[in-house]
Amino acid sequence: MTANGTRQIAWVYDLNKCIGCQTCSVACKVLWTRDEGEKHEWWCSVNTMPGLGTPKGWEEMGGGIDPKTGKARPGHQPTRGEFGGGFDYNYYEVFYGGTAGKAHLEPQAPREGRWAMNWDEDQGAGEWPNSYFFYMPRICNHCTNPVCLEACPTGALAKRDDGLVLRDEDVCMGDRFCMEACPYKKIYFNYERHVAQHCIGCFPRVEAGVAPACVRQCPGRAVFVGFLDEEGTPVNNLVKKWKIALPLHAEAGTGPNVFYVPPLSPHRLNDDFSIDYQTPRIPPEYLESLFGPEVHTALATLSSEMEKVRGGGSSEMLKTLIAYKWQELLGPFTVDPADIVPTV
Amino acid sequence: MKVATVNAGADLADPASQAWNGVTAEAVALAPVPLAAQPTEYIREAWANRAYGKTAEARVAAATDGKKLYVRVEWADDPAPNAEFQDAVGAVLGDGPLDTLGSAASPLALWYWENGRGALNLVSKGPGVVTKADASAVSGTGASGGGKWAVVISGPASASKGKLGVAVWNGSNEERAGLAAVSRNWLPLE
Repeated sequence: MTANGTRQIAWVYDLNKCIGCQTCSVACKVLWTRDEGEKHEWWCSVNTMPGLGTPKGWEEMGGGIDPKTGKARPGHQPTRGEFGGGFDYNYYEVFYGGTAGKAHLEPQAPREGRWAMNWDEDQGAGEWPNSYFFYMPRICNHCTNPVCLEACPTGALAKRDDGLVLRDEDVCMGDRFCMEACPYKKIYFNYERHVAQHCIGCFPRVEAGVAPACVRQCPGRAVFVGFLDEEGTPVNNLVKKWKIALPLHAEAGTGPNVFYVPPLSPHRLNDDFSIDYQTPRIPPEYLESLFGPEVHTALATLSSEMEKVRGGGSSEMLKTLIAYKWQELLGPFTVDPADIVPTV
Repeated sequence: MKVATVNAGADLADPASQAWNGVTAEAVALAPVPLAAQPTEYIREAWANRAYGKTAEARVAAATDGKKLYVRVEWADDPAPNAEFQDAVGAVLGDGPLDTLGSAASPLALWYWENGRGALNLVSKGPGVVTKADASAVSGTGASGGGKWAVVISGPASASKGKLGVAVWNGSNEERAGLAAVSRNWLPLE
């Protein structure tokens, strides 16, 4: 808890456990973005890295805070096409059109330039046999210094005492400066209702003691949630104590509160297919571009703990990451949503 | 500016209506809302080296049928395509700083119309610093053609005795919120 009594809900995604199944994405989708104008919105999405991701090329779209001047840095507002998706499909033609074997399910959008939430899945980078990729789930970072909030002329955004950054859609005028300012490009525009929208941290669930859907539904036990400064909790241990969970693109200066345990890498193969034990297949400089120079220490710490266990030792860190007890992933939000009694 | 009194039943809501033929339109010079007045650091930084408020002039006419005040605004349409932002226009009414679209101490009424979105009844407390008011009080219709926009915005006739300003947003240039061209001077309605 900070001096002024506020707290910060934080997420930790273990990229060594994420299998890219999109269960978190779908859990979020079915809960929050099924209304008008939300077809293309995926407040939680998992992308293959390296990749262009969603919106297409988001890492090159600017925003955040300029480290030289300390001022807001201009950014690009992701367009409908850059987010992509939200396609209609030719269901009727395929199922009822008498076209068996001829018509196939296909997005009803021009093939040229087509893009969607997970369009470059599993492409990654590198040359066979040393190609590589990993999965990275992304949600709103509920930043400590939310530039979206600062950018908004109508005061539609607010940071709550629990650290979530929420939007009052009745106040939002759809000006979209928040989308430009956000360095993570995780704010969508609802063209039907003319408001911007983003991950709400499942605040109605959190208020009832239920973990966010992306956390509770993860079949890989790959994501933790909790209050960042609550000592002794997995989130606090992973971020603050062991320092193996790192923010994404911290150089954007907004103080993101979603952290990632960086991916360990298989070894490279030599031309004769012998193993090069000295060279990780994922270039360390690439990981550094995402997670900063601390990534090297984090990976070294992880490797050393694994060595310790292989040698017969015990590691609290690895026990935490393995998550033998599922409820430990949920932080203080362990209430079963099935036990919630609707009040309306 | 003279507010023409038109017989009830005239279709003043339609910018192409012949009812407007007898109403004198005035050429009104517009200027960008000052950058320094933009309400957030982000907007000031992002637009520091970008021109906005590009619409230099509008033709403005006003008429009433006794129930409503109708303001017709015509201006040159920037043909550059933009799929994200739309052209918009506003009739500004009240008493306060027009160049900044009002202030916290002196809010102005902003009858706002946006292509594809329709009319909104807004209270403007600065450039883009708006809150929504009773939507049913304001309506608008717009038509583009021949390189021009013509839009009629209407609201309660009680505004006919005050002062009028107009603001234009060029969607092709991603103008929205306080990034507008606004009339340099109030037009006293009489």
